Amino acid sequence: MIAAVDLAWRNRIFYAFVAPFAALTIVFGVWPIALSVQVSFTASASALGTTPTYVGFANYATVLADPLFVASMARTLLYTGLAVVANLAFAFLAAALIDSPRLRRGTMFFRLALFLPVVTPDVAGYVVWRWLFDRSFGVVNAAADLLGLPPFGGIASVDTVLAAVLIAELWHHAGFYMTIFLANLAMRDRALEEAAAIDGANTWQIWRRVILPQLRPAIAVNLVYATIQFLKTFTVVVVMTKGGPADRTNFVSYYAYQLFDQGRYGEATAMATLLFAVVIALSLGALRFVERSEVR
Amino acid sequence: MSAAARRWRSMLTTAALYALAVPIALLFLFPYWWMCLGVFRSPRQVLADPLRLWPESFDFSAFAEIARVGGVDIWVYALNSLGITTAATVLGVCVTAMGAYALTRRPELPGFRWLRAGFLLTIMYPYMLLVIPVYIVVFKIGLLGSYAGIVLFLALGPIQFFLFDRFFRTLPKEVIEAATMDGATEAQILFRVILPMAMPVLATVALITFLINWSQWFPILVISRSPDTFTLPVALLTMNGELGASFRAIMALAFATTLPVALLFVFAQRRVMEGMAAGAVKG
Repeated sequence: MIAAVDLAWRNRIFYAFVAPFAALTIVFGVWPIALSVQVSFTASASALGTTPTYVGFANYATVLADPLFVASMARTLLYTGLAVVANLAFAFLAAALIDSPRLRRGTMFFRLALFLPVVTPDVAGYVVWRWLFDRSFGVVNAAADLLGLPPFGGIASVDTVLAAVLIAELWHHAGFYMTIFLANLAMRDRALEEAAAIDGANTWQIWRRVILPQLRPAIAVNLVYATIQFLKTFTVVVVMTKGGPADRTNFVSYYAYQLFDQGRYGEATAMATLLFAVVIALSLGALRFVERSEVR
Repeated sequence: MSAAARRWRSMLTTAALYALAVPIALLFLFPYWWMCLGVFRSPRQVLADPLRLWPESFDFSAFAEIARVGGVDIWVYALNSLGITTAATVLGVCVTAMGAYALTRRPELPGFRWLRAGFLLTIMYPYMLLVIPVYIVVFKIGLLGSYAGIVLFLALGPIQFFLFDRFFRTLPKEVIEAATMDGATEAQILFRVILPMAMPVLATVALITFLINWSQWFPILVISRSPDTFTLPVALLTMNGELGASFRAIMALAFATTLPVALLFVFAQRRVMEGMAAGAVKG
């Protein structure tokens, strides 16, 4: 203990360097998280007062017994699964396409087009998409009509709302995942491909057997990032659907926020803790999955 | 296969790749084009012909409609956006650079591992759910409704930290050893030796932090007490929720929210894309 204090004192300059960072991390990170966990064990009415009433796991019991929450969690997981697969598949194909040496001239333009939505304020992007999907106003339906396709319900129909939200989110996020794939593709060992080509491997075999195994770092990063990203889907819901229609897009983060808005702090923070647990479990699971496929 | 046939095949493949890539790129850019069209076209015109790709006339009245949003001048939102984003970026870059430097240079010091773990925990926490308790914290420390509360909250971010972390890790040890031999103090090493070397990273982090913070809306909405501290995205969100808000006014505000960062990105595209990828992969 004394040795530790002595070590710290002799290196006090490093504590001075780190102090502002530590202060912000604690005040806007660790403390709120601890507070959130604490509030999840108190009765909502007293949660923000000076003497909160502790109710044990009552909030968790209420939340887990709430069929709306269970449905909300199930939909969140379903949407996350669909969104992760769709985004990573699209991002990978787009990266493979853009990485092709045949597109030399257009590469920068394609990268720019796909990455611009990433830095576009999400609210602005989703506002535009909301109107693009509009039945009478929007282009999506007009285009479907022109091509002789059945009308697309967009965000107004229970059948299509998940797809509509997914498309808007893919537009906003996929460019980021694509860039990670591209960075990884640029670092790969091209000599291996030449060797495989000389041995008579076709394009498909080269991608499957030579390139894909080298993309493990990008797949791992993307899988974890995308899982975390889509588990906490929020902005798109606020802007486009408000959880509807018929609760189809009432994902956990939005549901918890609504409860918070109604002053049901105990239940809202219990939901937050549960979602946090799912985020950690699934991102660790994603990492595990990638590591295990490495051994094989 | 003859040489001519091979050349034909190669050309066809190239054409096929372009035939795939061009429509995808145009689809990704189309919402921007449609947003600009929406600024100039009246709702009636849009209803009559949603697919029209050029406005009937250039009618700038939409910008007059957004001169005041929610009882506040658009200039207030624009200046808030610029001020809050700039302040959070400057603060974030300075604080993160020094913090990441200390944490990577001397990870064995008491408490440093805990701090890193706390930071990682924070960035794993679902952001919008973190904002809820942050509201309570900001209330407790008396910063609710203040610019300070907003700026302080926005200052830290994962990509920024990982970019610095990665840079300081790859820094050759000889640099620091040489400076120590010359009798430099730790403060001199950081400010005279390391930070000047880190200039490219500082620029990248500043750029990315600016872009990310410009898009922020939820913490600003939660920490604000009135529209006076709203930024452009928050104003846009408010307008989006208003019944009867005019379509072209919404498009005009979306345009105003997007244009500054879109321009910044186009000018610094390589640095932004490489920086974001590096910050995510973290080495």
